[in-house]
Amino acid sequence: MSMSAGALQVQSLTKVFRDRGGVAVRAVDDVCFEVKRGEVLGLLGPNGAGKTTSIKCILGLMRPDSGRITLFGQDIQAAYPRILGKMSAVLEGSRNLYWRMSVWENVAFFSALHGVGSREDREYFGYLLKLFSLDEKRHTEVRKLSQGMKQKASVVCALARRTPLVFLDEPTLGLDVETSLELRSVLKRLAREEERTFVVSSHDMDVIQDVCTRVVIMSSGRIVVDDQVSHLMSLFRTRAYRIRLRGPAPQALEERLTQEFASVRVTDAETDAEIRVALSEDGDIYRLMDALRGEDAVIDEISHEEVDLEKVYLEIVRGERMRS
Amino acid sequence: MKLVSVLGAVFRRDWTMMKRYIVNSVSTLVSIYMIFILIFAGLQSMSGYVKTGALEGSLEGTIIGFFVWTFTIYAFSNLAWNLTNEAQTGTLEQLYLAPCGFKWVAASTLISDFVFSFVPIMLLLAAMMATTGKWLRVDLASLVPLLLITLLGAYGVGFALGGLALVFKRIQALFQIMQFVFVGLLVIPMRVPAAKYMPLVLGNDLIRRAMVDGVRMWRLPPGDILTAVAVGAAYLAVGVAVFSWCERVAKNRGLLGHY
Ligand SMILES: Nc1ncnc2c1ncn2[C@@H]1O[C@H](COP(=O)(O)OP(=O)(O)OP(=O)(O)O)[C@@H](O)[C@H]1O
Ligand SMILES: [Mg+2]
Repeated sequence: MSMSAGALQVQSLTKVFRDRGGVAVRAVDDVCFEVKRGEVLGLLGPNGAGKTTSIKCILGLMRPDSGRITLFGQDIQAAYPRILGKMSAVLEGSRNLYWRMSVWENVAFFSALHGVGSREDREYFGYLLKLFSLDEKRHTEVRKLSQGMKQKASVVCALARRTPLVFLDEPTLGLDVETSLELRSVLKRLAREEERTFVVSSHDMDVIQDVCTRVVIMSSGRIVVDDQVSHLMSLFRTRAYRIRLRGPAPQALEERLTQEFASVRVTDAETDAEIRVALSEDGDIYRLMDALRGEDAVIDEISHEEVDLEKVYLEIVRGERMRS
Repeated sequence: MKLVSVLGAVFRRDWTMMKRYIVNSVSTLVSIYMIFILIFAGLQSMSGYVKTGALEGSLEGTIIGFFVWTFTIYAFSNLAWNLTNEAQTGTLEQLYLAPCGFKWVAASTLISDFVFSFVPIMLLLAAMMATTGKWLRVDLASLVPLLLITLLGAYGVGFALGGLALVFKRIQALFQIMQFVFVGLLVIPMRVPAAKYMPLVLGNDLIRRAMVDGVRMWRLPPGDILTAVAVGAAYLAVGVAVFSWCERVAKNRGLLGHY
């Protein structure tokens, strides 16, 4: 029976683009994932991984070749377009707003399409504008706003529709550091206070690490990782080592290491070489030690490498690329 | 009711846009008026030359032709250009996220476009009548329904071409040419065989009868009115069907937003 805890369920979603020459691109290939109510899910992957395509298929802006999508227990296809009342989106690369209308006019218009516009709703619009420090600009035409303000205005416009699920495709593009921080704190706050569900796609790992509890990493149309951020980090924390040698690394050592460990990076920090490596199996540490001893390297210090989501992500994506 | 609130929102959006683009709207009307003045001057010098008054009737015809043509152009281009522009900028995808369905958003846009173009075009009509001294019968109760019947065909063409332009971008080149096609349709005489089955033609003729001869709508031959409605509805239905097909293709190929 329908899962009451789930906000979104995507089952075997596939989207193939065929160009005129008949060449087919499997932009989304048998993708399955779930988002729980109140969860902030990060959707990651290199350019062309299929993130935007997945989002647009869920929203019904693209027709998938196959797959079943369930939103709050309802089959999307069966309940379309009424079901759109439950989701909204900021789409990547698009304007999302009328540039010749003011921020407020846009917010009021797009919310009204979702049947949102009561007095209480309007108070909420004001609250959002304040949260995003756009209050002073509410009567400014969007075209006169800076890039970052435009982006924030699009986000406000999506949030103002008060839908339980919100898609944000590259929401921090063009935002300065401070504004990006502001957006993050607002998202966390809304997820917590209003129990809204977010699917955020971004190339900015700081943003994802900060706001998302779980990530789905896509590569070439497929999901390669679907895990809690904290679990993913601890997984990598125990495996990532940094070894400092006394003196430079001999050429032979570097060659041997790159042969044996895919993820190794050797940097010659002027005098003392540094080796960074992620080990995937328990026995790897002994092989590493053997290699070091065999090449007469003097170990000065061994430590766990500081991991952040960016490193984890790069590692996964690189590994994925090697495999294919 | 949600549908009504969507209609209201679309009205507010278009009213705002109209205010923002007031200079454009006024200059479009002024240039149409200028063209009319040129033609009027031409007609006058010709009738001065012929002297027989054989061109008498054609002045009224010209005024009404311009009047209906302006409505047609507005109806068609608002629909087709807006679809294309909104697809390019990305707002079209946002409209497609409306829970009432895009079709109702589009229908609301048509209604609001008609309402907002009504006053300026009536002003244009008044200016044309004042310039020529030919005062035509303007009986809104007859005129508005007849205009709507006539415009059905223009909406049909607008949907079809707007939809096709989503899929085949080159189609946009046809938008300009359509203005001339509409001129052609509005000057076709009724005696041309099958003329009444073409878009706009019969409706335009009925408007002429109402405005020149002062025939009230309910005094017009019901057969003609029914035919005009049926023909207009048929073109609209075909236009909407073409649009729906294009929408399907656009969703398959991911073309709703091609920014
Ligand atoms: N409308 C389209 N027509 C044809 N191919 C498309 C279309 N949209 C996307 N693709 C292809 O589908 C694949 C996935 O694209 P998508 O935009 O979903 O990637 P993404 O993960 O969002 O990438 P990015 O990080 O660059 O935004 C790419 O190979 C892309 O070329
Ligand atoms: Mg993308």
